[in-house]
Amino acid sequence: MIASDLKAMTPVMPADIAAKAAARMGDAVTMDEDGALVVEAAKLPALVRLLRDEHHLNYLSNLTCVDWPDRFETVYHLCSMQGGGQVTVKVAADKARPIVPSLTSIFPGADLQEREVWDMYGVRFAGHPNLRRILMWEGFAGHPMRKDWREAYYEQDQKPLKSRWPNGEFFFGEDTLSNWADNIKYPTGYAAEGLIDEGRADNNIAVIDAAALKLNPDIQGDHVIVNMGPQHPSTHGVFQMRLTLDGETVMDLQPVMGYMHRNHEKIGERNLWLGNMPFTDRLDYLAQLGNEWGYALTVEKMMEVAVPERAEYIRVIMAELTRVQSHMWGITFLLNDIGAFFTPMMYAIEERELILDLFEMTTGSRLMCNYMRFGGVAYDLPPEFMPMARTLVYDRLEKAVDEMDSYLTNNEIVRERMQGVGILPPEMAISYSTSGPVLRASGVPYDVRRAEPYGIYDRFDWDVVTRPEGDIFARYMVRLGEIRESLKILKQALAQIPEGPIMGGKKAWQIRVPAGQHYGRVENPRGELGFYLVSTGESNPYRYHVRSPCFVNLTALAEMSKGHKVADVVAILGSIDIVLGEVDR
Amino acid sequence: MNPDLTPTIWILLEAVVKGAIVIGALLTGFAYSTWFERKVIARMQVRLGPNKAGPAGLLLPAADGLKLFFKENIIPRAVDKGIFFLAPLISMTVAVLAFAVIPVGDPTEVPWREGLLQLGIADFDVALLYLLGVTSFAVYGIALAGWASNNKFALIGGLRAGAQMISYELAMGLSILGVVMIVGSLSLHEIVVWQKAHVWLVLLQPLGFVIYVITAIAETNRAPFDMPEAEQELIAGYHTEYTGMRFALFFQAEYIAMLTVCALAAALFLGGYSLPGVELPWFGDLAVFLGKVIAGMFVFVWIRATMPRLRYDQLMDFGWKVLLPLSIINVVATAVGLALYQNGVFG
Repeated sequence: MIASDLKAMTPVMPADIAAKAAARMGDAVTMDEDGALVVEAAKLPALVRLLRDEHHLNYLSNLTCVDWPDRFETVYHLCSMQGGGQVTVKVAADKARPIVPSLTSIFPGADLQEREVWDMYGVRFAGHPNLRRILMWEGFAGHPMRKDWREAYYEQDQKPLKSRWPNGEFFFGEDTLSNWADNIKYPTGYAAEGLIDEGRADNNIAVIDAAALKLNPDIQGDHVIVNMGPQHPSTHGVFQMRLTLDGETVMDLQPVMGYMHRNHEKIGERNLWLGNMPFTDRLDYLAQLGNEWGYALTVEKMMEVAVPERAEYIRVIMAELTRVQSHMWGITFLLNDIGAFFTPMMYAIEERELILDLFEMTTGSRLMCNYMRFGGVAYDLPPEFMPMARTLVYDRLEKAVDEMDSYLTNNEIVRERMQGVGILPPEMAISYSTSGPVLRASGVPYDVRRAEPYGIYDRFDWDVVTRPEGDIFARYMVRLGEIRESLKILKQALAQIPEGPIMGGKKAWQIRVPAGQHYGRVENPRGELGFYLVSTGESNPYRYHVRSPCFVNLTALAEMSKGHKVADVVAILGSIDIVLGEVDR
Repeated sequence: MNPDLTPTIWILLEAVVKGAIVIGALLTGFAYSTWFERKVIARMQVRLGPNKAGPAGLLLPAADGLKLFFKENIIPRAVDKGIFFLAPLISMTVAVLAFAVIPVGDPTEVPWREGLLQLGIADFDVALLYLLGVTSFAVYGIALAGWASNNKFALIGGLRAGAQMISYELAMGLSILGVVMIVGSLSLHEIVVWQKAHVWLVLLQPLGFVIYVITAIAETNRAPFDMPEAEQELIAGYHTEYTGMRFALFFQAEYIAMLTVCALAAALFLGGYSLPGVELPWFGDLAVFLGKVIAGMFVFVWIRATMPRLRYDQLMDFGWKVLLPLSIINVVATAVGLALYQNGVFG
């Protein structure tokens, strides 16, 4: 089903709303030079409620924090499902005791994002139901995104590490008694070795008392807690789900992540502006060019660089090819998760390889493309690109999609497993800040390409694909439909692409970005990818935040999974289609 | 030596030799079933499949076996050791035992003894009953492995296996009952001989055959009914904690069980070792039998390569609410048809 256009609705005007809201709230709210609303901590929930209920800003797009010398500043980006830009809300928190009211009661989608801010900055969110570390482990001391936190090795005063070279002698880390090397600090009172207690009586006890959990008063028996992952064939990487099972029924689910955390954002703040371009490839490595576009777009906005026509078309072509190959991968891995023994996947990968061939001939790399630049792209399309791209787009991919559709969609077992499982109602999908196919499968026709068009998407004729059901099957169908829509855009772009330069502005080795901040977002295959960048005019970003669609979509996983069977949880996770490179960052 | 006992000793010796041959054949069959499966699935997935170890990868099973022999046998600290050791042995023993009653050819004359030599270890009047009885022991191996491993995934796998096998055994037994009613014997050899004389039973029992095939897949825990070891959900299910040769024993048991149900399908519904209207020498019988088993194995592999897995509760629903009533209907219809036939209604 192709749903109604967003064009019909009136997009909200962020500047108007901000001004109106500031007027309503009186002294508690001021506007800063970027048009953001700065609010006192205590008035934050009231302001956000006002924005949500009276100005249709019902979508918490992004939530993050900046460590300024004199304050912590939590930043919220609110959007409307009717389209248009975002309203930025900022709250200053005390440096010594940073406490900000939690938004989880207004937007449940703030849950994981607030936990991330607590983990990285140590800002407490009053009223958050489960404020624990999320990306770092429990035994980690300090909050690594704070500017005064020194990263071991890279930022220590004396290199190499003192612990490795006590008297100028070297020794192997393995030879030390502790499993946990000396360059890790623990919080006070934390005993890492105490985690494994050989003598403890309940070490091997697999069941817990149901009554103690109080999940369901009617059930008298025992519940089993199963740690699904991080080493598990279908958690798509090192993701962990802590399931509380009653028989095979899931009573509770807690996502545990961070096993692949490398503090992308911290490294991003140390890198030069351009140095982050190849680094974004490593986020969602199945949507490499989409990530690059998101970053380039944000920095271009801050630098006010214009992108030449041809480069815009190349970007659209690359991003849509990325979407096609990513969705092919996503759909067939979902099939894998429900037990199809790799057969659909192999056929989809065949097509994907051909698309990667196009990337390789243009950018020199299949996965880590490093192709976009601020103001254009790095290389022009090689002469053999066009014939091959045309053959793929016009002849081959369409048939491949139709083939997948005809063999998979009406398979009895596929339907049995997917329909009516993991339902996410539209209101919930919005309040949980989900995005991408997960949101559109719940019947919400929201696509950043249409809601706040970037690049040249407003020139093409295409539809936002939605399904009303909100179950796994709907997500599958939305992805299938989006491949077709992408092919539609690709056909137009390939036909219209003009000749001309591929880079705007003058060539600069060292890029200077004027002081300021911007939240730029693109529609990646997995949802809304946002970059919140803050520049102080230095050669590297002061703040480099990635709003990862996979990470935020996982907020709704527990809600979707409760009451279903173990086998369904795997399928639901597959339908969110996470990439751990982006979840853990 | 008491001369009266000599024939008995000869018979015993014969049985031992036949047993050794069957076990050897089954182990080889297992090894090449894995090769066959990989090769066929690869072709279905636009891949080449094994092609490095020997011509067309034919030495791969040997390499696999060698590797598994030299693997470290890890015994987790918290397992129930006795049962942990016993479980794979139960699975393997049961799988091999079941094959004892399968006839692979017509009784044939041999120079070293009087009378005819049975091709097949044993043929007795309750062979089918024995076979059903023995195969239902297979669930013990799996359920005990799941329990003894002290691993939650293994435990869930073992529980699933228990529930699944019990519920599918019923429908399976009932689907076979039609055959027994028509032939009037539980001896597999006689069932084959009856089909040789009349017609393949798949034509008289189409519904029974379909139910048998479905339940056979469920009985052997193969896709799309492979819940006890569902990789995407339970990692490896009941054999998650097993390594090396112990793991291989479970693997062997599964493939030998597949061979057995294929052989049984051939014997019960597809004329066994016979071809209609053709009288073959003993090696011809054997070749026909093998051909039918390989065709059955191909169906197993084909289904695995093309079907997603059902969910556990859907599988149970299907077993109890669809297959069981259908097999009962089949039995009743067969009985009615048989009564009408014997009273000359069909002329």
